[in-house]
Amino acid sequence: MSIFQIIAVFFALLMLYITRVHTLRQRFSMTETFFWYSLWLVFIVVAVFPDLLRGISDLLHFSRVFDLLVVGALMVLTVVVVLNYFQQRANGRKWEEFIRQRAIDHTKKK
Amino acid sequence: MAAKSILFSKTWIVIPGFNEAKYLATVLKKTLKQTPRIIYVDDGSHDHSAQIAQKYLEHVIIHEVNLGKGAALKTGCDYAFNFLKAQAVILMDADDQHNPAEIPLFVQQLRKGSQVVLGARSLFSKMPLVRKIGNAFTSAVMLILFWRYIPDILSGYKAFTRRAYRKLYWEATDYSVELEIAAKIAMNRLQFSLVSIKTIYHDLDRGMSIIDAIKVALKIVSLRLGL
Repeated sequence: MSIFQIIAVFFALLMLYITRVHTLRQRFSMTETFFWYSLWLVFIVVAVFPDLLRGISDLLHFSRVFDLLVVGALMVLTVVVVLNYFQQRANGRKWEEFIRQRAIDHTKKK
Repeated sequence: MAAKSILFSKTWIVIPGFNEAKYLATVLKKTLKQTPRIIYVDDGSHDHSAQIAQKYLEHVIIHEVNLGKGAALKTGCDYAFNFLKAQAVILMDADDQHNPAEIPLFVQQLRKGSQVVLGARSLFSKMPLVRKIGNAFTSAVMLILFWRYIPDILSGYKAFTRRAYRKLYWEATDYSVELEIAAKIAMNRLQFSLVSIKTIYHDLDRGMSIIDAIKVALKIVSLRLGL
């Protein structure tokens, strides 16, 4: 096992621990808990046995499984950033509306 | 509503402010000489701007958190049109850059039937050079992208009727509100009239930097693309 695989396994174990902490604090629904546990367990399996993805990487003409993982991770990151951006904008608008309405209501009551 | 029915008694002044303690009392005293119908929107100031305003005015709206000039203007306009049943509003800055003695000029244009009245500073006035360049640049970009020439877009001294407000209703919460209003005037083909206003500059005014100009250009492009 290479150093990268060892780091990846430790990273996934850390994320499993974080998932467990959030689960214990009841911040996740059953579906979310299942999703995050599955994700990090699959991550560990792929990190230890990267050849499991050999078929997919060959099909997509990646020379190494590592390249496939890097491209996949970048795609996931891009999606997360875009979704966060829209969510943050929506939240900003909600806060703006709330603060403005509260200010108007407070003045009306005087 | 027929534009000619616009009454001075139904026209409210909306002044947004953020940490404006230095000039606010002066602005309010001068404005009160013109009209008692003033709404001050304090946008989460850390200084005692709101307390100063409350000494002079009945209608002081306070944002508990700083949202930006665009949001403060929207709060003031919503309050004026929905609660005070205003027919028109005149927007002014709280930093004493606008001369309240010019308010009757805006009212006059509204009574003549203008839906929107824009205060425009002359390019030949005492305006700092960077400001002149910034203003000319903004108007030029607007002309290229919207095919409509609107002078002194960055001036915050303007007036509009209730009907125009429905079409101008902006989303910008920050200083880009001036750009969005100009873009909406162009996109909705709203007729506007101009009022020549005096140029007053203070120590706090820094003009437009190159970065500001780039931001302005990008904002106008995003408005053109409907983003």
